[in-house]
Amino acid sequence: MSSDVIIKAKHLAKAYKLYDSPGDWLKQGLLGSPLLGSSKTYYKSFWALKDITFEVEKGESLGIIGRNGCGKSTLLQIVCGMTRPTKGEIWVKGRVAPVLALGATFDLEATGRENVLIGGAVLGLKRPEIIEKFDSIADFAGIGDFMEQPIKLYSTGMRTRLAFAICAHMNAEILIVDEALSVGDLAFQKKCIDWIDNFRRSGTLLFVSHSPAELSRLCNHAIWIDNGHVREAGDVANVTRAYRKATLVEQDSMSRFSAV
Amino acid sequence: MHYVDGKQVIPGHYNRFQLFIRFLLEPFTGAWHHRDLIVAILRRELRERFSGSVAGWVWAIVAPVISLVTYTLVFGGAAKLPDGKPASSAIDYALFVFGGLIAFNFFTEMAYRAPSLLHEYAHYLKQTMFPAEMLPVISTLRATTYASIGLTLMLLCQLIFSGTLHWTVLLLPLWFIPFLAFLLGITWLLSAMGAFTRDTAYLMISIAPVLMFATPVFFSHEALSPDVKLLMYANILTGFIEIIRDIVVFGKLPNILVVAWTVFLSALTFWVGYWFFRRQQGGITDVI
Repeated sequence: MSSDVIIKAKHLAKAYKLYDSPGDWLKQGLLGSPLLGSSKTYYKSFWALKDITFEVEKGESLGIIGRNGCGKSTLLQIVCGMTRPTKGEIWVKGRVAPVLALGATFDLEATGRENVLIGGAVLGLKRPEIIEKFDSIADFAGIGDFMEQPIKLYSTGMRTRLAFAICAHMNAEILIVDEALSVGDLAFQKKCIDWIDNFRRSGTLLFVSHSPAELSRLCNHAIWIDNGHVREAGDVANVTRAYRKATLVEQDSMSRFSAV
Repeated sequence: MHYVDGKQVIPGHYNRFQLFIRFLLEPFTGAWHHRDLIVAILRRELRERFSGSVAGWVWAIVAPVISLVTYTLVFGGAAKLPDGKPASSAIDYALFVFGGLIAFNFFTEMAYRAPSLLHEYAHYLKQTMFPAEMLPVISTLRATTYASIGLTLMLLCQLIFSGTLHWTVLLLPLWFIPFLAFLLGITWLLSAMGAFTRDTAYLMISIAPVLMFATPVFFSHEALSPDVKLLMYANILTGFIEIIRDIVVFGKLPNILVVAWTVFLSALTFWVGYWFFRRQQGGITDVI
């Protein structure tokens, strides 16, 4: 294995078990155990990912593109270690910072300052580190006196600003950005993109977006995920071109969400 | 981080014995590693509990005071202590009941909350790399603060009415350690089960009140026939309640057999609970 590889995914597959009723769940737990030699299952499997193979080298930026429900979020959750793959191998080396929806974990009653302390701890920073970086975080978020107000008074954009500001101060080796930027105003988006640009000099980026333009701006490679498979991989320009072409032709059908 | 076919690969080579030791130490190394996170969330939980009420912390003290006063008034006159001698005062019996209640309420608080614990934190578990196995640690620590208020009150009461404390109260920290271990084990077990099915919560609500009568809270198991008495020890709470009464109310050293049995059950619950939680953890984020 080359020492430069920082994320390695081999034939990743992820199945979610769908139960028709909680009773089926109990039957599966009691009767479906392989110990009893039973092969009957009481659930349907929904394969969110079927076969994903890719490698990311240190310092590389990988764009991930695909339609809603194609498995992008599941893939990112696996890379972060939030959920485990059903089959296949995932190997990640280094500190991962997910800018997924950090804002969703904010405590609405608490002030921005308190949430920075909690959010930083959730992301794995030590308390002295957070306190040391606090001014810099407040400065990056640029929400002024709102820092001392409860989060419930914030606008959606302000929450995103604060969330991104915390993530930006994590000293992560791998940054995972999942469509988080589209909420901020143009000036803040530019600030974030500049920051990501700067981050790319030393770190590794996984970037999910529906916008081919953003993808080409920030990434050198891309993978296009379709129906749980890697449909196209390689140079970002080629992948986005193929993706754009396909969306013109293919219909938006809901049949792809059904379980087998 | 390295997973193959849904199983975590631990770097390095260990034999079975080393893996077992590693597993035994894991809850402690994990808690130490996440100590800042535990403190941050605990702080938030405690503030949340009392924010929005004017009197705040006063409520945490008023509730046990009221129950202590009630027991004194209700059970006061006729009560007898287990050694057959009439209680020297109503306060003695009240303290006797109160000691049992502190332990029992501590247990039920965890038993009621654990099944929904992971649901409460679903947004953390699904959107950040939150160490789910530390949530039971945080909620047990939170409940410890209330139990400590009750215990302090109990000691104060004894000091005021009898003018002195038994030296055995110094053993209280030693009582707390296995009790916390037991509660943590139960919380790991119930929260993992509760993540998969809401029935766990209903089950606890149904059996906890029944359990109260199988636990010597209002009576003493010493008065029961020897066979029934032995059976009572199957309920781990019996041991804990006997020990806390011995060291706080009666001022004598607890029976060493009872202590050994109770510590053994606590340790068993602790590691079985942790083992069960870790085993189910891979599936938890997918179902909540």
